[in-house]
Parts: sequence; C-alpha cells; structure tokens
Amino acid sequence: MKHLKFCFCIILLVSFVIFPITAWSESKVEKDKIVIGAARPLSGPLAQIGDFAMGPIMTMWAEEVNARGGINVAGKKLPVELLIYDDTSDLGTSTRLIEKLILEDKVDFLFPNCSTAFLYASAPLANKYKYVYLGAEGGCTTLTAMLPELPYVFGVLNYSDYYQIPVLADVLVAKGVKTAAIIYINDLHGVEYYHSSLSEFMKKGITIVMAEAVPPFSEDVELVLKAARDSGADALCGYVYPPTTMAVLGQAAAIGYSPKAMVLGPGVNFEFFKGIFGPQMLEGVMGFGAYNSKSSPEIADFIARFIKRWELGAMDWWGGAFYFAGLQCFEKAIEKAGTLDNTRVRDIMAKEHFDTILGDTWFDMTAGGEGGGLLAKECHPGQVGQWQNGEYEVVGPTDKATTDQVIYPKPAWPAP
Amino acid sequence: MNLVTVLDIFIGGVLIGGIYALIAMGLSLQYGVSRVLNVSHGEFIMLGAFATWVLYTSLGINPLISLVIVGPIIFVIGYLLHRTLFRSLFKSSPSLPAFEGSSLLATFGILYIIQNIAIITWGSSSKGYTFLASPVNLGGAIFSANRLLTLGFAIGIGVAFYVFLARTRMGKAIRAAAQDPDAAGLMGVNINQVLALCFGLGTLLTGLAGVLYSMCFSIQATMGLGFTIIAIIVVVLGGLGSIPGSFLGGFILGIIGQIVTYFEPSLSLAAYYIIFILLLLVKPTGILGK
Repeated sequence: MKHLKFCFCIILLVSFVIFPITAWSESKVEKDKIVIGAARPLSGPLAQIGDFAMGPIMTMWAEEVNARGGINVAGKKLPVELLIYDDTSDLGTSTRLIEKLILEDKVDFLFPNCSTAFLYASAPLANKYKYVYLGAEGGCTTLTAMLPELPYVFGVLNYSDYYQIPVLADVLVAKGVKTAAIIYINDLHGVEYYHSSLSEFMKKGITIVMAEAVPPFSEDVELVLKAARDSGADALCGYVYPPTTMAVLGQAAAIGYSPKAMVLGPGVNFEFFKGIFGPQMLEGVMGFGAYNSKSSPEIADFIARFIKRWELGAMDWWGGAFYFAGLQCFEKAIEKAGTLDNTRVRDIMAKEHFDTILGDTWFDMTAGGEGGGLLAKECHPGQVGQWQNGEYEVVGPTDKATTDQVIYPKPAWPAP
Repeated sequence: MNLVTVLDIFIGGVLIGGIYALIAMGLSLQYGVSRVLNVSHGEFIMLGAFATWVLYTSLGINPLISLVIVGPIIFVIGYLLHRTLFRSLFKSSPSLPAFEGSSLLATFGILYIIQNIAIITWGSSSKGYTFLASPVNLGGAIFSANRLLTLGFAIGIGVAFYVFLARTRMGKAIRAAAQDPDAAGLMGVNINQVLALCFGLGTLLTGLAGVLYSMCFSIQATMGLGFTIIAIIVVVLGGLGSIPGSFLGGFILGIIGQIVTYFEPSLSLAAYYIIFILLLLVKPTGILGK
C-alpha cells in the first residue's frame, strides 16, 4: 500500500511537472522565421509578367528585410522565408496551391498571385481562411464591388478605373484626341480596361470608332491592326498582355501604321521592351504606371537599389514602386502588431498610415474600415507614362508628371 | 468587303500558313514514317527561333544565314534522338502499337525537358528582334516585308523537300519505308537509318519554321505546345501521312484562321479546334489522305 501511494505521488508529481510545461510549450512555440507562401507563374505565358513585376520586388524586399536581421516581432527579429510554388500560369493550379499553402504548409502569410483574373479568383480564397492578401499585378475593377465582404484583401496596384483610364482620357483630350480604336484581350484584364474606356472616353468626348477583342497572348494581330488603321482613329489603345503588346508594336511598325497616340499595356512599362525595340521605336508610345527617379528621392533610392540588385533591364515602371510600398506597409504592420496573427496585422494595415517609398501611405478601406481596401490614390506616383528620349516619363496626372510635355502626335516609326 | 480586304485576309492567311505547313510536314514525316507521334514537336520550332534570336542579338548574324546554321544542328539533335532513345524503345516494344504508345509518352518527357532547359537558359519573358519590319504594298493591301520573305522561304523549303522525297533515291527509300518497312528492309533499305533520317528531317523542317517565325513574331520558351497542336490539326486536315496534304493543309488552316479573325478575332483559336472536331467527324482521312 505504501508502495502504491509512493507510485501515485510520483505519477502526480510528474503529471504536474510535465503537462503544464507541455501546454506552455505548445502555446509559446518560439518561431525562428516567418514563412510567406505564394503561387506564382514561374512558367507559362504569365511568367513574363511575374518575372518582371512582383517577382523581383518580393525577392528584393525579403533580402533587404533579412539583411536587417528580419522583421521585429515583439522584440525578436524573425527572418523571412519565401515559399514559392509554380502555378504554371494555370488558374485552377494557382487556387489549389493557395489552399495547399494555407492548409498543408500552414504558412504564416500569403503573397499574391499574378494577373487580374488570378487575383480575382484567389483573393476570396485567402479571405476565407483569414489570411491578409496583398494584391500585386492585376486590377481590381471587378473585385472592388466585393471588397466590403473581403476584409483581408488589400489592393496595391492602380488599374483601369482607379484611376488610369480617367487620367488617360484627360491626357488624350488635352492633346486633341477625338477618336480611339481599342484592341483588348478577352480575359478579365482586357474586359475591365475596355469597359472603363467605354464610359470614360464617352464622358470626355472621345468616340470609340473600333473595338476588337483578341484571344489572350495572340501573336498575329496584323489584321486587327489594319482594321484599327482603316478606322482612322487618332489613338490606338491596346489593353493586352506583353506577348501581344510586342506583336502590336512590331506589326504596326511593319505595316507602317503609326497612329497619333498609341497606348499599350501591360508591356511597354517594362524596361526590357526598350531593349527589344530600341528607344526610337518607343518614342511617344504611352503605357500605364508610372514612376521614375524624378518622382521622389525615396523612389530614386528604391530604383538605385533595384538596379544594383538586379539590372536596369528588369525594371517595371508601372508596378515596382507600388508593390514595394505595399510590402513596406505589410512589414511595418507586423512590427506594430507584434504578432504573426493575420487578423491583428490586417487591423493595423486597415487603420494606420505608413512611411514608405511613396511617402505617407495608407489604404482606403471599404465598409467603414470593416471591409477590404485599396492603396489610396493620393499615394499613387502616377497613372500614365510615355517613353520620351529613352525614359519612361510620368505624363498623367499633371500634379505627378515628371515632364511638362506629352509627345503628340507620336513620331513616325524609325526606318528599319 | 472590298478587294483590298479580301487580299488582306487571303495573303495574311497564306503568310502564317507557310509556317504551319512546314511544321505539319515535319510532324507528318515523323508519324507517317517513324511512327512517333511527337508531342515535343513544337519545342523544335522554339529551339530554332531562340537559336536565331541568340545568333542575331549576340553575334549579329542575319536570320537568313541562321537557316543554314540552325537547320543542320536541329537535324542532328532529331537524328540522334531517334538513333538512341526511339531505337531503344522500338527494340524493347513487343509490337508497333506498343512502340507508338511508349514513344508518345517519351516525347512528353522530351517536351518538358527541352522547355525547362529553355526557361532556365533564356528565362520566361518574350524575346524578339526587328528584321525587315517595313511595309510592302501588294495591290493596295499592305504587308510587312519580313512576312513576305518568310512565305517565300517556307514555300521554297516545302517544295524542295517534296522534290527530295519524289525525285531522289533517298526519298524513294523513305516512301518505301512509309508504305511497308519490312518489305523495304528486305529490298536493301537500311530501315534504322531511314527512320532516324525521317525523324531528323521532321525536326529540321520545324527548326527552319522556328527561324522564319522569329523574324516576324515574338518568341517565348513556352511557345512550343501550341504549335504541336496546330501541327496535329494540319496533319489531320491534310490527311495522315500525306506530305503534300500537310503542306496544303497549313495554308488552308492559315486562311481559315484569318477569315475567322476578320469577322471575330476572339474566336480565331477556337476556330482551329472546331475545324479539328469537324474533320474527325466528317472526313477523318483529311483532304489528301487515303
């Protein structure tokens, strides 16, 4: 009996010692890094957007964070580790990978997918699992109506009606453009830009005399370009992805079609386009964006760091500064929250202002702060860019312009 | 629709059709004689295009000269692939249908290997260069000089290849091997050599199509699969195993694509698949098939 009592006491003692410690250990697992997952197009047709847009920016941001020792979470600096899966530019694969990252890999945070349609499909999914979803490449025109129901979603990039097409219409009208021809891809990106143009151009007195949809990633657009040429429009707007942007530029030059204004994108905002076509051919061609070293000293410093890490040829003059500023907001929100809890980080991102390369930066939230948000338009460094003497200048809105002049009409194509 | 528009559509279709014709002839040869349904076929147009781009942008070599540099290299790759991989598969397969199945799977592997090497080497972004990008007026319709040149070379290469098959001793051996490989072997034709030669010639034609394609369009490391699908459609359109049928089918598909593009550009890709399904339902033997 005495022996039994002794055993019981020992078991009790051990239980008291071990179980509280175990429970304490589980609730206070010490993290030694922050794992951020993303499904990105490392292959397939969208890779050329991802590789030149958010891809290098998030890598550079993670490297810079880690060089500083990591993100300060409640007094402890945690380095960042990116867990990137290749979605092969396939929408179904991309959304499946988002769920894998959340449910199987149990990543701490998510980074965005690439392109408008992928953003539209993935944002509600991330929101369902209460993961902060910072947008990158892709517009939110269609997503905007859903934002009040998506409190974890933060749109970072500017896009068609926020406020590129309204600004573009102002720029074109100021130069005397009366008619426009539009070529757009029949996916969500093209459709959003086309619809924005329908309303904005009409509102500001520009008549759309031709509009044709082409399949995404079309390479042969000569016939459609001839229709645009025959329409006699002052401006040609091509709301297409880079392979088709290249086709529009190259084939328009090859058939000698040089409209007075040419607005293309995404595509011409990438520095590598200058490498392919040369500055003379791009002279006067407009695109979206936009920022450059003249936008602000902070942006100039960011550009210098980017070029040092990568190269000038990898620069994206549309989204690069937006994405980096978004990541700075995200980093500062984690530090302020002092935790990796997505809900607390989300609440801080929704309420606070942050000091980023764009200056004072904040998100305009929907549903009185209870819904998702968009990077405030006051923070945007520009909406419309134009190649002038080998530089991608900001030409709209006027208060953000980095040059006084807008080239119009676009010069004729250089001799081959 | 005025005459200029008709010319735009017709000549525009013929221009892209020339590229389709070359790749389809290559696939037709590989399947018709070597019995390999080469799913990685489009990767060789990508290789030809990228090799030309590298030669032009790095060494300043004229793309027309690249035809005689890139073509033989791609021929050797195809020839060696057959002499090693497919020959080995042929030996280990108990029957011809078994070989066709295993070689089809092998070409899937080749597709991913070539594509991934290309992505690692050249990245995933579009590449391109401008070559003879100037307008030429043909009866009021304007076309780019590089595309007209491409058409000329595509027709020249196609006709030269047909003459090679029809008039030369080796061509006769190839045709004999296509009709009855066993009988051709008994008559003294070195079957292994001929089958490898056909596979190599198939990659050669596709590689040359890649050289020509790069003169007019941007190129990507992942562009191959789309061309394989187009080549299969053209081969079915022209008639399985018929080289002239593939040549003709390429131009027909190009013209149909342009007609659809004129009326509804967003349906141009869908039209190819609709043609494919209709052909299988209505005339599975194709235009010149037996």
